[in-house]
Amino acid sequence: MATTETALQAAARDAERRRRSRPKRLLMHLGLIALGLTMLYPLLWMLSSSFKPTELIFKEPGLWPTEFEPGNYVEGWTALRNPFHHYIVNSLIIVAGAVLGNLLACSLAAYAFARLNFTGKKAFFAIMLGSIMLPVHVVIVPQYILFSNLGWINTFYPLIVPKFLAVDAFFIFLMVQFIRGLPRELDDSARIDGCGHFRIYWRIIMPLCTPALATTAIFTFIWTWNDFFSQLVFLTDPDLATVPLALRQFVDSQGETSWGPLFAMSVVALGPVFGFFLAGQRYLVRGIATTGIK
Amino acid sequence: MTRSSRGRPRRAAALLAMLSTVTLVAAACGGDDDDTDPAAGDPSPGEATDDAGDEPVEIRFSWWGSDSRHEQTQQIIEVFQEEYPHITVVPDYTDWESYWDRLATATAGGDSPDVMTQEERYMTDYANRGQLLDLNELPVDLSGIDPLALGGGQIDGAQYAVATGVNAFTVIADPQAFEDAGVQMPDDSTWTWEDLADAAAQVTESGDLFGIQPDGSNEAGFKIYARQHGQELYNPDGTLGFEAETLAEWWEIQLGLIKSGAAPSPTELLEVEGPDTSYIATNRSAMATAYWTNQLGALSGTAQRELALLRYPGEAEGPGMYFKPAMFYSISSQTEHPEEAALFVDFLLNDVRAAEIMLTDRGLPANLAVREQILPQLPETETQVAEFMAEIGPDLADPPPPPPNGAGEIPAILTRLWEELLFERMTPQQAAEQFISEANTAIGG
Amino acid sequence: MVSTKPVSAPPAPGDSTATPTRRRGKSVLQKRENRAAYLFLAPWFLGLALITIGPIVASLVLSFTDYSLLESPNWIGFENFERMLDDPRLHNSLRVTFTYVFVSVPFVLALALALAMVLDRGLRGLPFYRSVYYLPSLLGGSVAIAILWKIVFGTNGLVNQVLGLFGLEDLPGWVGHPDYALSTLIVLNVWTFGSPMIIFLAGLRQIPQMYYEAAAVDGAGSMRRFLSVTLPLLTPIIFFNLILETIKAFQTFSQAFIVSGGTGGPADSTMFYTLYLYLRGFGAFDMGYASALAWFLLMIIAGLTAVNFIASRFWVHYGDD
Repeated sequence: MATTETALQAAARDAERRRRSRPKRLLMHLGLIALGLTMLYPLLWMLSSSFKPTELIFKEPGLWPTEFEPGNYVEGWTALRNPFHHYIVNSLIIVAGAVLGNLLACSLAAYAFARLNFTGKKAFFAIMLGSIMLPVHVVIVPQYILFSNLGWINTFYPLIVPKFLAVDAFFIFLMVQFIRGLPRELDDSARIDGCGHFRIYWRIIMPLCTPALATTAIFTFIWTWNDFFSQLVFLTDPDLATVPLALRQFVDSQGETSWGPLFAMSVVALGPVFGFFLAGQRYLVRGIATTGIK
Repeated sequence: MTRSSRGRPRRAAALLAMLSTVTLVAAACGGDDDDTDPAAGDPSPGEATDDAGDEPVEIRFSWWGSDSRHEQTQQIIEVFQEEYPHITVVPDYTDWESYWDRLATATAGGDSPDVMTQEERYMTDYANRGQLLDLNELPVDLSGIDPLALGGGQIDGAQYAVATGVNAFTVIADPQAFEDAGVQMPDDSTWTWEDLADAAAQVTESGDLFGIQPDGSNEAGFKIYARQHGQELYNPDGTLGFEAETLAEWWEIQLGLIKSGAAPSPTELLEVEGPDTSYIATNRSAMATAYWTNQLGALSGTAQRELALLRYPGEAEGPGMYFKPAMFYSISSQTEHPEEAALFVDFLLNDVRAAEIMLTDRGLPANLAVREQILPQLPETETQVAEFMAEIGPDLADPPPPPPNGAGEIPAILTRLWEELLFERMTPQQAAEQFISEANTAIGG
Repeated sequence: MVSTKPVSAPPAPGDSTATPTRRRGKSVLQKRENRAAYLFLAPWFLGLALITIGPIVASLVLSFTDYSLLESPNWIGFENFERMLDDPRLHNSLRVTFTYVFVSVPFVLALALALAMVLDRGLRGLPFYRSVYYLPSLLGGSVAIAILWKIVFGTNGLVNQVLGLFGLEDLPGWVGHPDYALSTLIVLNVWTFGSPMIIFLAGLRQIPQMYYEAAAVDGAGSMRRFLSVTLPLLTPIIFFNLILETIKAFQTFSQAFIVSGGTGGPADSTMFYTLYLYLRGFGAFDMGYASALAWFLLMIIAGLTAVNFIASRFWVHYGDD
């Protein structure tokens, strides 16, 4: 199946676009912009509120603060037991481990599913797909017992080691889809040259997989960064708290008396996700699109 | 921790495989032995208990609460560690909501904190399941503790917990709000619910603040109401001791305050997250019936006003108020360092330096001598608490029996039914009957 | 799912006696490829055994016990499952969850498809719109957004402030009202329609232009072209998105947890199945019952997915067959 448009098709689309009347296009743009603004308004409001004095947040629906209060960030940063960067560092350590684990383990498994024929492949593939759908709530208690017997509670291991065991099957699936789209001729010719599977995987498939790997890395970053449930369960030492846990502590301990600083720290928490989104959206879009294409 | 991100997945995996088969089985059988504990960071498990003298030992202490409590507790830990340099106390604190989830998972995983803060509704559960040590058998000096406070932690003669201090459930009022509204603050020694409702309605009418923040989800309020009517929330044998009509009446009263406009709307009430966001603490209401005496300091602090303590309405007709152990200190049966844990509990209870930092945040200190010593040092709000407690003391009814197993579930049931009532999805009578049936299931009655 | 597909005697990894019974010509090559594959899959196998299937089995065992987290378990047979039959809160949580899934997923898919169609018309600024619509998908699951939602839909929140500008006063707080709280979470889910939209966009790109041209030659209008070209060719993608979004919706936890302060309230109106399970297990020490609930959840999701797959035979067209 062709994955890119031919020049001819593109030209045809262009022509069609030009044929369409100007006012209609304008209306469409207006509609799209209005929808986009509505969707982003809460985010922008939060950003703007993070610079407003707390009393004004619930009085002004407008975006531009009439009174500027950058002190919210200073106050929020130091409101908890540790300065906020402490929680950011904790989150980053977990994220780094998770990204590395997913890249390695998921690509290994994906190669097997996409390129090798082996006994039980269909069944294992079905199990793999099934495990994507497995809610973490089903297994959290036995997992907790396991990790606690390993002495891993209040360490980052329960959040990192499973990634090295390819537990995030979604990424296996994503990479399987991607590898299946790569021309087989490449590894066939490599095999004729006497390359073993590991060399093919490492030298040929992995470099070609860069977009899928980038997608995996970025998604793992974002999902791990946003994860709340497992961090809540496995990290009880307040010094090991991650950004989401810190935010929740913030809500519970400060509450309505300091919405401004709370918003400020929420903005800080969303910042890296937003940054990765801006930097990597090409990979995100392409990656997520690949999973949908058979 | 960065180690693992760089680590070798295969080696880690192999290790995991070997250990887990053993441990899963062990855990499923309820085994507590923790010797397969490579990362726990105890330098010498097993030996430390023998010579408590100088081996460096780490114990974990868990508690819930507000920021100010966390800071105070931190200071106390520092003083303790100066006195016992070989003991490191690792703090483990959260807010009230997540505290019990976390304690339960940690306990199940054999990773319970060595010293934990308990509460009467949960303490029984933990004690009956063999998770707490008998403090009589440990070097904790209980001789100075108020006998009234000691009783709450005893089950079948064993002292599983010691009260941190005592508390009473009250109405909290803001005299300045009354003054601003031009309404006379009612006399709490004689007042009834009608008096309270009248005063609250007047406050709401006269300005832009509410008369009262009621709470139909706090069992302590109902406990008092039931006792005023000669009933009990729990009988001494652990069954429910009240009639559905009584609960329905109490709910009607709370709902009446909302319907008359004396109180905020249902959704506004539900948005109150905790003491700091309450109407009374944010100068938006003149009264609140949802808090304990030990919370006065924190509430006054947030409100930046001098708040007052009032008796629960209806006391004149039949007393129902009682002193409750604010919270308890307990030692986990999973601890590897019972001696050191006991030293720490002893310090918390009996050392005046600890009390000087804590003041009445965990209730009026249970050690009577310590209480005397810190009284003169108390800031004004705390003196107020002490005086209020001294004043109501003689009028109190007998302490209620301790809650039965499963009582930890009651608050959630009460809260949910109260929410049904707020939005008129049930009648108070229906909700009361539902409560009785669900509560019976929870406490196994 | 896992349980419904017993593997017919798979050779254990590294088990060399498994293959010789098969046809001889194939065996050497196949054996080598098997070994390579199992090596590549080794981490995944381990993860499957320790982190996934092991705990699933452990959960199953626990579901026949009265395990309370604090005491060792006693075998109680089917008692937990019988209890599920007359547990009104469980039934309520099922109602809440199914409402959420069956209302929000169609909305998400319809909106995603509609916008993908609009954006696919070669409008200028496509990357810009795509980014704007996609951003919420990435943020939707975070604690920060749940906090934001709680405030935006509060009594004095942004929504009521804006409605106030239109003269609507004295509105309730939406997250605090049992009749509306679930709707705010549905809105939150619909807000994240961006990721299925991108999958749709990719799918639309794959429909060869010549089909449209052929349809245009036949004199088909735009509606007709949508119904007879776009929709049939897009069914595999719709199916994929349907499965993904359904499962995602079933697993919703954090948003409900944060918005309701961990209670599923007000009055159990946001008591998602997962939240109820969590509260039974970790709030009420009722691990045996929670494990039974976990297994039932597994069955629901497996069943629903199976139904989807069976139904898909009747409406999903795979172009190249």
